[in-house]
Amino acid sequence: MRAFLGAILGALCLSLLSPASQAAPKASDLVQAELLTESRAIEPGKPFTVGVRLRMAEHWHTYWRNPGDSGLATEIDWTLPPGFEAGPIQWPTPSRIPVSHLVNYGYEDETTLLVEVTPPADLAPGKSVSMKALVRYLVCERECIPGEADLSATVPTAAAGQGGGAEPTSAYIFTAARASLPKPSPWKTSVSGEGERITLSVEAPGLKPDGIASAYFFPAGETALDHAAPQALTMRPDGFSLGLQRSNVASGPIPTELPGVLVIEEKLDGGTARQSFQIGTAPEPAKGSGAGALPPAATNAPPVDLGFGSVAWAAFFAFLGGLVLNLMPCVFPVLSIKVLSLVRHSGEGAASIRLAGLAYTAGVVVSFLALAGLLLAVRAGGAEIGWGFQLQSPALVVGLIFLLAAVGLSLSGVVEFGTGIAGRVGTLTTGSGASGSFLTGVLAALVATPCTAPFMGAAVGYALTAPPVVALSVFAALGLGLAAPFLVLTLWPALLARLPRPGPWMDTLKQVLAFPVYATVAWLLFVLAQQVGPGALFSTLLGLVLLGFGLWCWRLAAMRDGWGRRIGQSAAVASLAGLLAIGWSVAQERPPAAGQAAASQDGTEPFTQARLDQLRAEGRPVFVNMTAAWCITCLVNERTVLSTAAVKAKLGETGTVYLKGDWTNQNPEITRLLERHGRSGVPLYVLYPGQGEPVVLPQILTSSMVVDSLSALPAGVRRAEASIPSPAN
Amino acid sequence: MLNRRHALTAIAATTLFLAGPALAVGAQGPKIGAPAPSFSATNADGKPVSLADYKGKTVVLEWTNDECPFVRKHYEGKNMQALQKKWTGKDVVWLTIISSPPGEQGYADAAKANKLTADRSAAPTAVVLDPKGDVGRAFKAQVTPHMYIIKGDGTLAYMGGIDDKPSARIEDLKGAKNYVDVALQEIADGKAVSTPTSRPYGCTVKFTS
Repeated sequence: MRAFLGAILGALCLSLLSPASQAAPKASDLVQAELLTESRAIEPGKPFTVGVRLRMAEHWHTYWRNPGDSGLATEIDWTLPPGFEAGPIQWPTPSRIPVSHLVNYGYEDETTLLVEVTPPADLAPGKSVSMKALVRYLVCERECIPGEADLSATVPTAAAGQGGGAEPTSAYIFTAARASLPKPSPWKTSVSGEGERITLSVEAPGLKPDGIASAYFFPAGETALDHAAPQALTMRPDGFSLGLQRSNVASGPIPTELPGVLVIEEKLDGGTARQSFQIGTAPEPAKGSGAGALPPAATNAPPVDLGFGSVAWAAFFAFLGGLVLNLMPCVFPVLSIKVLSLVRHSGEGAASIRLAGLAYTAGVVVSFLALAGLLLAVRAGGAEIGWGFQLQSPALVVGLIFLLAAVGLSLSGVVEFGTGIAGRVGTLTTGSGASGSFLTGVLAALVATPCTAPFMGAAVGYALTAPPVVALSVFAALGLGLAAPFLVLTLWPALLARLPRPGPWMDTLKQVLAFPVYATVAWLLFVLAQQVGPGALFSTLLGLVLLGFGLWCWRLAAMRDGWGRRIGQSAAVASLAGLLAIGWSVAQERPPAAGQAAASQDGTEPFTQARLDQLRAEGRPVFVNMTAAWCITCLVNERTVLSTAAVKAKLGETGTVYLKGDWTNQNPEITRLLERHGRSGVPLYVLYPGQGEPVVLPQILTSSMVVDSLSALPAGVRRAEASIPSPAN
Repeated sequence: MLNRRHALTAIAATTLFLAGPALAVGAQGPKIGAPAPSFSATNADGKPVSLADYKGKTVVLEWTNDECPFVRKHYEGKNMQALQKKWTGKDVVWLTIISSPPGEQGYADAAKANKLTADRSAAPTAVVLDPKGDVGRAFKAQVTPHMYIIKGDGTLAYMGGIDDKPSARIEDLKGAKNYVDVALQEIADGKAVSTPTSRPYGCTVKFTS
């Protein structure tokens, strides 16, 4: 390896010295090719797998079926004995290899191209057959060199059942090659688009928005997409989508199918796991399955960038939002009255007025920081009980819809909240001097709250998702914005005369602001519609009517006395109760696919701690699988490993009971078991032998790993009684 | 209560904020039927050359890199020269463009470019030197050989590979359908180009990074 790299280096130096010289390295020095057979011997009519293993010199690469912007896919021409049939190349998941502003798809370091070969049924045993493969490849670094390798392998033949299994020396190569093949996709995908943009939508309801670190789609067709264009990942309530750029040599309407390989990097407890899925029917479908460590594949930047720029922008908008708050009916009158009284009554020097202004500012900012701290605490608490602040939960969405609708109606003037307090603030005696002004600032922040929803919304959302320091700075900016006019007026009291007078315009402004809030309600209803059935959606809409009725009753009650008041209030309270009932009923609806991880498949029992304890007491071996509908890695492990015949058979043979726990909805029993094994999330695989310490298996499984672990169970505890149903059934 | 109320607007606003930039992406390259990108550069004789000079004539652009195995296939197999001679003889303008920067494979200064033309008996109208890669980027040229045909009215009529057999083997020239030859004939006959795009194949254009 070293020697030939040295030769290449020397050759490169030479070519730099004399550009005209043709001292380029030879392709055969850059790619070491070999032909491997998986089986020890070939049996009549039984397909076997061969692999063309290509090992590239450092920094050089060969190509995938779609080489990307340039390059050429590797080809294999077979020369086989009569009656033998070679299948298509099973392409491992490629990597994204950027060259300048172009992008290639291929393999660096090493790859093994698997091919299934079917021998004839009348194969004579006890002989040997010779297979030849002419492998044509293009190997590139920045420069490209076409190469050919004439490979051959001779394999003995055997009678049916006498093949002797896999050749042990090369077994690891085949295992790794299978592990790097894309798996069948567990999701439905659809393609839409317009003009140059194509959207690949993946229906994966229940995925956590923050669970995917990156996603990249490798198109199988060479002229389908612009390979170098960034692929924008967007999380949706029903899954996610990738924004793709159509190739400029593509023509005709947007295709309805986009075959290719989707690579997803999922965030797990202990880091990330890469999974690749076959999307659509590629002209040469890859066969075989298996799971395990995947080769390095492409990643793109996570879609959410919390760099300094976006933080600064958020703080800037928060400051603007704070400024606008001053114009709200709850704040504006108070503001002028307070400043006026301060200027009139202080009678002291400008210095003390300034001090008061600064103290007021401090009061406002501290209040906002306290609010941010409270939010962060709620967030931390929410995370602990597994309540991510996500729109994945219909209950949260419905709650938000009702609350926002109430805010909107309030802004529209159907009902008014908080005016009583606001009116009183102007006359509140909070003492004089700096401490009094500080308290006034705190009060102003409190009083402003009924009017702030439309503006503070963005900042609060940010606080719920951003790192704590960022969230705090955004809230500080909001407070500064709210306090700024007061501060300016205390610094230059003469400006007071220039302020617009409080008047009906404030109410108009307030009413106008109701409409963005209604628009948000509409959007949330759209979100909800994708999570629940039409029945629940109808309930929610009825709830909105009820909400309007309740608020109207409330206002009516406020204007009446005696019985009228009591009837109005009772109606309002009844409406509220109705709302709660509706919210609760909608919350019971789960997103359609969220239950798919439920432990209802054959061969498994649902996990409970009691059942586990009971089985352990009986001395039975137990395999525990903790999974969730939104966990991609869990899904892949289940489909490609745990449900394979080999694993099922081994479970049955060892009498192991398979318990499956569904953590989709944060079962506390499961949470405790996870914690006991130092995990805060799924997947978790634990094998409890009949006696002794449990074994935790890795988060990415392979069939052989599971089978080996099961085989290693102490023999004495296996299958003690036949009365217990075998999981293999 | 208050927090929740804010959370909704917040989340809505944040979502819109995040989704915005995703929609804005979209670098467009040249398009069939649309005016081809204009360019001006220097040819191997040291003279300025620009697309506007050839108004009214059909122009072929050929991206090249003399050491690229795919380019060598078409030159060593005499395919490229034959095509150049055939069509420059019929008043078609043929521009061979070199976008490799100094130090990269395929780079040629004026002297080397002229020597290559002489040694290979090539017959382009001119060789365009594009060591900064500006012309290549304007056309989104990816590979050598990447082929473009611009009609007399300045619109792009063809872009893609030179033929339908993506390989670096000379023997694959036989029986290949040469898209450029077909398209030039159709343009000469006043017909629409039947295959206006195809998959470009070859080595990556060695742009300056």
